[in-house]
Amino acid sequence: MIEVRNLHKYYGALHVLRGMDIDIAKGEVFSVIGPSGSGKSTFLRCLNFLEEYQQGDIRFDGRLVGYRETAGKRLRASPRDIAAVRTRMGMVFQSFNLFPHKTVLENVMEGPVIVQKKPEAVVRKLALDLLEQVGLSDKTDQYPSKLSGGQQQRVGIARALAMQPEVMLFDEPTSALDPELVGEVLDVMKALATGGMTMVIVTHEMSFAREVSDRVMMMDEGLIIEVDRPEVIFGNPQQARTADFLRRVVH
Amino acid sequence: MDYVWHFGVIWDYRMVFVRGAWITAQLTLYSTLIGLSLGLLFGLFRSSTIAVLRAPAAVYIEFFRATPVLVQLVWIYYSLPILTGLQLSGIASVSVGLGLHAAAYFAEIFRAGINSIDKGQWDAARSIGMGYGQAMWRIILPQAIRRMVPPFINEFATLIKLTTLGSVLAVYELLHEANNLINNTYRPLEVYTALAVAFAVLIYPIILLSQRLERHWRTNS
Repeated sequence: MIEVRNLHKYYGALHVLRGMDIDIAKGEVFSVIGPSGSGKSTFLRCLNFLEEYQQGDIRFDGRLVGYRETAGKRLRASPRDIAAVRTRMGMVFQSFNLFPHKTVLENVMEGPVIVQKKPEAVVRKLALDLLEQVGLSDKTDQYPSKLSGGQQQRVGIARALAMQPEVMLFDEPTSALDPELVGEVLDVMKALATGGMTMVIVTHEMSFAREVSDRVMMMDEGLIIEVDRPEVIFGNPQQARTADFLRRVVH
Repeated sequence: MDYVWHFGVIWDYRMVFVRGAWITAQLTLYSTLIGLSLGLLFGLFRSSTIAVLRAPAAVYIEFFRATPVLVQLVWIYYSLPILTGLQLSGIASVSVGLGLHAAAYFAEIFRAGINSIDKGQWDAARSIGMGYGQAMWRIILPQAIRRMVPPFINEFATLIKLTTLGSVLAVYELLHEANNLINNTYRPLEVYTALAVAFAVLIYPIILLSQRLERHWRTNS
């Protein structure tokens, strides 16, 4: 479903992604781990083109993300095409990024109503269902500032799901949360994974990654160190860097 | 100090003040409308990533901030007709002149307000498929406006005061009416005192409103 080939990303002179190749299959739960600064979040943000990449291909259902090719030359895709790809990928952020001037319900309805132009009554029903799914039926008319971090992140998940995306991208969804609030967010994500959603998760929650992932990718310094089933990555890593990293984060 | 005040004169000529205040209000309204719409445009241009939009906006803003308003006004009133054949009335000249002047300041307020919004809001808007316009209009501006309101109201109050420059172009706003009145009554102390009070009465409620709004939004965000 997502094919990444020889992906390179620069911030000015800084070479942050240094040639990545990976395929992510439909229905797969794919976790990305690695030390901070390894390029995990940048990789994730390239997938829906929140970050431009300078070299290589990202293909989503076979179509190049963010660029179009005409006569061998690569040009930036039209804003409309870029936006269209993004509506097919939900994204959940470390810092939630809810719209503070809109209620919980309005946050969830915004995308389908304004971007996808779906009828408001239909979207309202969908949004209420999603909010029930994430356990926030009693908070629909609250503003985000009145919610705990865990509740805000669950709204963030509902907002992304409201677009009825084919993939969900999670950018360290629990890193900004107090420890006692992490569980409620992970539970929602677990339910999604069980439901068959394709998920790419950048995370520091190793036990969660181990439990829900089909595959885990270890990154360091903009490179893929290894990709394997969680039993292998966490039980018997093939690369010394993976073993080192896991030893450090587990303690 | 044995000056004997005769404020009765002001009461006799109260309609002069009302007339002047009406012109002052019109000048303020027109120049604010011109300033806000051009200011929004230039503010967006100036924070644009596109150089052909950014550069002219920057030149405009810096030029108007670096020249005196009075010079801008007399230039528009005296030079524009000669160069373009476009003869504007006094009121129109002052409205356009102050509007262009205010646009430079409003643009900076817009830009600062937009820049003050967390980049994560752009990420979130883009991630649900919004383009620049939708994200700006529905997500960024509604939040930024709140932060812009206090400086806006300051600039608005400044604009009211700047309308007195219209007296130089024979526009019958408050100051000009006051000067004429002095020629008739020889009562400059009373007239100028009343004038100062009239401006305070116009402007103080606006400042009060700004403070109220600021407090309201601080407790509700």
